[in-house]
Amino acid sequence: MALNELKFEYKNEKSVSIKKEWSHLGVVGSGDMEVLMEKKDLGGAVQVKVVTPVTGFDKVWNLVLEKFIKSSNLGNVSIEINDNNATPVVVSMRLRQALAEANKVNGGEE
Amino acid sequence: MRAWNELQQSSFLGANARERAFGLVDKGTFTEFANPRDRISSPHLPVLKEAIEFDDGIVVGLGLIGKKPVFVISQEGRFIGGAVGEVGGAKMVYTIKLAIDLYDRMIAENPALPEEKRPAVIISFETGGVRLHESNAGLLAHAEVMDQFQNARGKVPIIGLIGSKVGCFGGMGFIAAATDVVIMSELGRLGLTGPEVIEQEMGKDEFDASNRAMVFRTTGGKHKYILGDCNFLVEDQIGAFRERTAEILALSMEELEKYRRIGSLELVEEQLKLVDLAVQLQPRDSKDVWKYFGNENPEGLPDMNFAEFMTTVKRRPENK
Repeated sequence: MALNELKFEYKNEKSVSIKKEWSHLGVVGSGDMEVLMEKKDLGGAVQVKVVTPVTGFDKVWNLVLEKFIKSSNLGNVSIEINDNNATPVVVSMRLRQALAEANKVNGGEE
Repeated sequence: MRAWNELQQSSFLGANARERAFGLVDKGTFTEFANPRDRISSPHLPVLKEAIEFDDGIVVGLGLIGKKPVFVISQEGRFIGGAVGEVGGAKMVYTIKLAIDLYDRMIAENPALPEEKRPAVIISFETGGVRLHESNAGLLAHAEVMDQFQNARGKVPIIGLIGSKVGCFGGMGFIAAATDVVIMSELGRLGLTGPEVIEQEMGKDEFDASNRAMVFRTTGGKHKYILGDCNFLVEDQIGAFRERTAEILALSMEELEKYRRIGSLELVEEQLKLVDLAVQLQPRDSKDVWKYFGNENPEGLPDMNFAEFMTTVKRRPENK
């Protein structure tokens, strides 16, 4: 596997999962990424897998992801990211957008 | 994703492939095949340390327009320029094949199946053709799509839609030319060799790819509409593309065939006449061609808004 694969796990005290069974957001454009969120029984934990051509930024990924998962109080969710050189700001924004998408009821239709 | 109602008013150019696919068919009817959760991404890109996408840059699925089952193929230009590799190509090929198989099955069950219930395929092109990272597989995919077009001929209509940022170039330019009907917005671009490649191969004097106005005069929707490579011009709105598609799909296969630009001896002869004309006219710019087809004021055409353009423009007389 020539692409860099990073795995992280986080756990919040009293967490909530997403409303949809699964949800997808984003396009892997240059400097961008996609997020796949799935409801999954992980004993309250959140598992994150990042696939990226970039190496050497494991700590930054950890900081950005940890901050997002703490502030969103997520649990029992599996998150998979395909990244193509997204900056930390873009990563944070896409994660928040992905969460909003995952919590839309009735697919956002009125 | 934005709601269906909102998408209808939204720019086709600004939307992503999934939004286009979702918005091009009736509200709430789209089901995606091989969706991101299935994680069918390219096996070749990781070897080259290139980023992957769960859908490999192509959204395919099935929806309804009225009672008609409509198979949708929608390319994503922001992922490697919409270039077609092995997985994305296979998704295209098998989606068309599914449409043909469904047609055969429905007709076998009921030979008098009303036109309004017969399947169709729509393809939103946003691509430069073959993905060079997986060139052989990508080329093969192009050939296989052509094969499926031949199998669909006279059975399942194939409508090409071009209104994206990347446009439709390279091998996919040939594919678009081989569809039954092409619908474009003026922001859509269609060609074989893309502007940058012409400049690279032939020099800036031959073709200046940084001259945006000239690029659009040569490859853009308005020019293609005048010339006849595009049958219908619509506004840059997902709803406008959907409505025009629905109108066309209401026609019988026989009527639809009349919109083809290639695919018969008569049409080959017609295209050859255009080559003769180019030799005769020696145009320096698309504007020379527009003038030849009766546009008194070719200078004014590029800046006209959609409504004004449609009432003013004169097209090549052979156009349908």
